[in-house]
Amino acid sequence: MKNSCSSVSPLIERYFDRQATDEERALVERHLPVCTTCSEKLMALEGLKNALKAPVDEALQEETFPWVWEKIEKNIRMERKPSWWNLLRSWLDLSYLLRKRVWIPAVATAIVLALIISPFLFQKTPSYLEASVVEYVESDTHNVMVYDLETGQVTVIWLFEEPEEETFSS
Amino acid sequence: MKRTTILTIYCSIFFLFFASTAFGQVQTRFRVIRASNVGTGVDPSLGDIHGQLGSLFSFTSYRLLKDEILHLSPNRPASISAWEGRIIIETTLERMRRRDVADLRIRVARERINILNTNVRLSPGRTVLIGGPKIREGVIIYAISSNF
Repeated sequence: MKNSCSSVSPLIERYFDRQATDEERALVERHLPVCTTCSEKLMALEGLKNALKAPVDEALQEETFPWVWEKIEKNIRMERKPSWWNLLRSWLDLSYLLRKRVWIPAVATAIVLALIISPFLFQKTPSYLEASVVEYVESDTHNVMVYDLETGQVTVIWLFEEPEEETFSS
Repeated sequence: MKRTTILTIYCSIFFLFFASTAFGQVQTRFRVIRASNVGTGVDPSLGDIHGQLGSLFSFTSYRLLKDEILHLSPNRPASISAWEGRIIIETTLERMRRRDVADLRIRVARERINILNTNVRLSPGRTVLIGGPKIREGVIIYAISSNF
């Protein structure tokens, strides 16, 4: 059976794209040596392919995409190994805490606690052994005497109603 | 599960709050003494300060009227009355400077009139004697000592 151009010509593009079946490919390959028109059509397709491929290849050679690959590798690694934060969240199951409804009372409680604790955190710690035990004394109605015993363990604050009062032993 | 977690967190917060409040308490021993020259003798329960009383004052008799342990909390006044409520000593824990050093604000009132305002620092082993207010047969002496 002689292969006519009318039956082979539609197969040229499929043959060029390597989508032809074995029978179609055999048919085209038998026809091409004897048909100049179809051969020229195939050559034209190859020429078009080269015309398109050359600038693309040239552009790819000039362009470097290592960062693209690094990014891809990083994503692959992340998919394989979850971050420590995700591990912690999954372990503690904190998803409920991340809701706004929980954070408002939690923050309020934290502020109240901070206000309670802060005076104890920022207080000064001077030396106590040398300082006086009585820091302040005031009386509008009496004369006041402050006396430290020599032993250093007893401090006396005495109220005198009259200056000439004699209460202390001589 | 989630509710349990939230409940646990809140319980922890409230435990810390109440624990800090409890730790802020100070036990202080208050003794009310009547010193006079009527009779002689020293109350046996005043043995630890008998020497100081004898060396300081010229009274012949020391009687213990009250002996109380007060649990002082910051900014919560505690008071002890004497002489049928006519003399009142009100003590407020201002703050704990350290674990064993307490700042006390003390107010003594007689017949509802302030006769003394003072701030003292109490540490272990130390006693503060506040005396002088006269009563019928002598004077009142408050002995304040740390119990922490």
